[in-house]
Order: sequence, then structure tokens, then C-alpha cells
Amino acid sequence: MMKRNIEIGLLHSLSGDYVALSTVARAGILRGVAEVNTDPALDVRFSVVERDPEGRLDRYAPLCRDMLQHAGVRHIFGCITSSSRKEAIPELERFHGALWYSAPYEGFEANEHVAYMHSCPNQHLLPLLDFAVPRFGNRVCLVGSNYIWGWEIAQIAREKISTMAGQILSDRYLPIGDTGLDQIVAEIRALKPDFIINSLIGESAYSFLAHLAEMRAEAGNAEMLPVLSCNFTEGEIPAAGAAAEGMYAAGPFFEGSAGGHGSIAEMSRLAVHELAGYLNANPGAEMLPLTDLIALAAKQGRALRLDRENQHASQPVVIAQLNGGIFEEILRLPELAADPYWTRRDRSSLPRSHLRVVS
Amino acid sequence: MTRIRTDNLGEAKAFVLHRPHPSMQPLLRQLHVIGLDVHEAWPELPAEAVMADFVFYDADMAHDEQFPWKAGASPMPLIALIGSEAPGRLRWAMTMGAHAQLLKPLSDKGVYAGLLVARSNFDRANEAAAHITDLEARLSARQTVVQAVMIFVLRGKSQAEAYELLRQTAMAWRMTIEEAAHRLVTNHSSEKVSDDSKRVDLP
Repeated sequence: MMKRNIEIGLLHSLSGDYVALSTVARAGILRGVAEVNTDPALDVRFSVVERDPEGRLDRYAPLCRDMLQHAGVRHIFGCITSSSRKEAIPELERFHGALWYSAPYEGFEANEHVAYMHSCPNQHLLPLLDFAVPRFGNRVCLVGSNYIWGWEIAQIAREKISTMAGQILSDRYLPIGDTGLDQIVAEIRALKPDFIINSLIGESAYSFLAHLAEMRAEAGNAEMLPVLSCNFTEGEIPAAGAAAEGMYAAGPFFEGSAGGHGSIAEMSRLAVHELAGYLNANPGAEMLPLTDLIALAAKQGRALRLDRENQHASQPVVIAQLNGGIFEEILRLPELAADPYWTRRDRSSLPRSHLRVVS
Repeated sequence: MTRIRTDNLGEAKAFVLHRPHPSMQPLLRQLHVIGLDVHEAWPELPAEAVMADFVFYDADMAHDEQFPWKAGASPMPLIALIGSEAPGRLRWAMTMGAHAQLLKPLSDKGVYAGLLVARSNFDRANEAAAHITDLEARLSARQTVVQAVMIFVLRGKSQAEAYELLRQTAMAWRMTIEEAAHRLVTNHSSEKVSDDSKRVDLP
């Protein structure tokens, strides 16, 4: 089949604080592009225009603009952090672009120029808490990196746990890259929580896991202080080492065998396929605004991962435990639509008010 | 203390008081995405809008008569949609009682924040108003108690005896000390008025 060529943008950092995540995302995108380009059933092939923000926040907007304005690109695959995504959005709005974003995030956004291809809290954190509280107990410590992801995960966990009659024993944050954990670890030793929500990223997370592994070894109890994460993926197993063993994680996808890159890479790969599926046999459709493109694909009866209203992907919810360097699936919930503003809970059977005993 | 409540937005009903216009689409869409039940209204808010959880209103073209309540007395959080930043229009928007604002041209941005900020400000204003009413009532009751005690003191009782007498009177009348004090003060001043009425003032 004659393939028409479409240029797509790639905006991931090849250096900087979160390079471990951006390189796996990039690998997933390039793999997706290679698959699309050799798929005889698709009439599109993609060529990649790449820009490297080097992990520097102020480079995202100008590079995004440059690709949209000068390189003739409409669809950009990229960004790991929420702050970089928010840098890109005004440029997407000004130059009619779309961002295919494939990292887990904290929700509370639904921009018409963004395809949210990973998961938001109702697809990771909330099911993880539903799983953990009956299993481990309801006395919880929260630890996170000091930026929007850590803060909002803690805020949502706090609200959710309060509806489960649980208790937040502590809520601590560490600057990104910081490994000065003595105080936080001493506090956890004293509080003995039933479990810990760990939203630390990078080096802080690996160091924290090492401290906890030491405490477990001292006590001779491998089961104590279970750690739960919504941002730890296979790509980080080598960096975290054996200390990560036993950790629980929630996400839309786990590799099931050693050596894979994990969900960020997989969702990045699927994002490329999603776009190819929308554009196939729709010449010129790449110029449509993202919402119109999704609407067209829906009208044509194509399989959609994205919701037509909020542009978030429906995702299965998988909870897995790290065992021997491999995430073993413990629980899998059927595909769940994203609820980025966490408002569908209001229609559930949750009690509307709580009676308090007044003594 | 400032609180942000994120609950129950998924059941919330919002009215948007603005003339039908394509520029409203991003707001309507985003409210829908967030999960609200959205109703457009123009030129008047219907009476049922009193039951709404949020009302958005056009600060550029709307006026008092379009609202089924008095300016500043909305029973729900209000969010002004501001285009013109002319002081006269802003004054009107504030007089209506905006708890938050969105600037035109509207987009998806700021809508969720507008809802939460408006609700937080609305809650805080109501709490403050209730607190003030309570304090005023207690303040005026305290003055009344002092006046009632003074009535007994003027009749030759010591202050301690006067308080005890007031307490016993309240018990006998089966009411609170504040209520008894109020009745004593009212009776006393009406006696005074009737005394005064007998007096003939000379020119």
C-alpha cells in the first residue's frame, strides 16, 4: 500500500532529573513508529521531528512552538512532568497542535489539545487504596517528592482514606533529588503504619526503599511496612535494586517478564498506534483539531482508547507486587474510564455524610 | 480556616446566565467534563435557579433584575464572567456578590478552580455572617443583663444580690437569664415611659 508520510513531534528530555522516565517513553514512541511504518494495513507512515528539552522546564514551550510553527508538525508526543505539560499547552492552543501525553498524572485537567494516554487517580491511586486498606489496615503514612504530583497524591489519598475511616499518621515531602531521609525514616519507625504511600521519585525513592528494606531486615520481617506506589514502573527496577522487592504498584500495564520498560513505554507506544488508527484512510485528518479527530474516528466506528469528552484513555487497573525483579499481577479490574475531576464518586453509594460521636 | 471542598461536584447543578454565544462553549463543555448538570439561561434566571449549586453570570451585560434574589444575597456561590474591566462593570459584578471570577475569552482553564474558590469563599462568607449574628446577639444580651442588674442595684441591692435576684427571677419564670433580663428591662422602661407621660413639660 502507498503510505502517506506524516511528520510527528517528539519532545522528551535526553538528560535531567527524570531522564530515566523520558528515555523509556521515547523508546516506546520510536517502537510504535517503527511498527506503524511497517504495518501494511495502515496507509500512514510517521517520520519523527525531535527536540530535546534537556529536563529544563523553560525549554518546553519554545521547542514546542518551534515544532508547530516551523517543522509543520501537528501531533507531538512528549512531556513527563505536569509542569512541562502545562508549559506546552499555551503553544498547542496558539498553533492548533495536540500533545500525546503518556505518563501517569494527578488529574484535574482536561484540555482539548491533550490526549491523556496513561492514567489518573481513579485508575491508579483509588483502586490501590481500595485494595490496601482491607488487606493491611487503615493507619497510613504518606511520603512524596515536593512538587505537584506528591502533594496531590497525598491530598487525594487523605480524602479517600478519611471516607474509609482511616487515619493519616504522617505526611512528609522531600525536595526532588534529596536523599536526606533520616527524620522521615525515624518517624515511620516510631509510627509503625499499616502501609506507606510512596510518591517519591528518582534517587529519593530508591534511598527511601533502601532504608525500609534495612528496617525489615533488622526486624526479620519481610512483610512489615508495605510500600505502595502509583509512579514506580519497571524502568526503575535496576536503579532501585533489591530494596524495591515486595513493593505494590498500580498501573494500566505491567511487563510480566524481566527487562521490559513498563507502562510509560507501553502507553507511549500505544499512543502512536492510537493516532495511526485515527488517521488511517482519512487523508488530511492529521490537520483536524484533536477533539474533531476523535469525534470523526468515533463516527466511523473505530476502536477508541480516548474518551470523546475528556480525551483521557480508558484503562484496565492492574495491581502488582514486585517479586524477584518482576511485577506479578495480583489484581486486575476491567477497563475503567478516566474520571479526571473525581466527580463520579458523588454518584456512587458512598455515604453522603458521616455521623460523629459527640461526647 | 480556609477549606477547599472537592466533594459532590458530580451532582451539582450550575446555571449560566449569558446570552447564547459560541464563546460560551468552552465553559459549558468544561463544566460538563467536570461532571456538572449545566443549564443555560437568558435573559432571566428562572425561579428554579434558586436551587442551583452554582451560578455563572455575565458581568458585561447582565443587570439586577435578571436575578430572583437581591444583590449580594445569592443562596449559592456566584462566579462572574468578566469581559470589560471597566470599573463600573466590576463594581456591579462585585455588588451582585461574586465569589469568584473567570475572564473572557473563556477556556477550559480556571473553570474547576473557579468552582472550588467560589464555594470556599461562599462558605467562608456564610460562616462569618453567622458568627457575626451570634456575637451581636450575645453582645446585646450582655448589655441587657447589665441593665437588668442595674435596675436591682438602683433599688438598693448590692451587685452580687442583684445577680442572684436575676437568677432566681429567671428560674421562677422558667426562662434563661438573658430572656428574664430582657423582660425586666422591657417592663422597667415601659414603667418609665408611663411615668414620663404623666409629666407635663412646660414650654
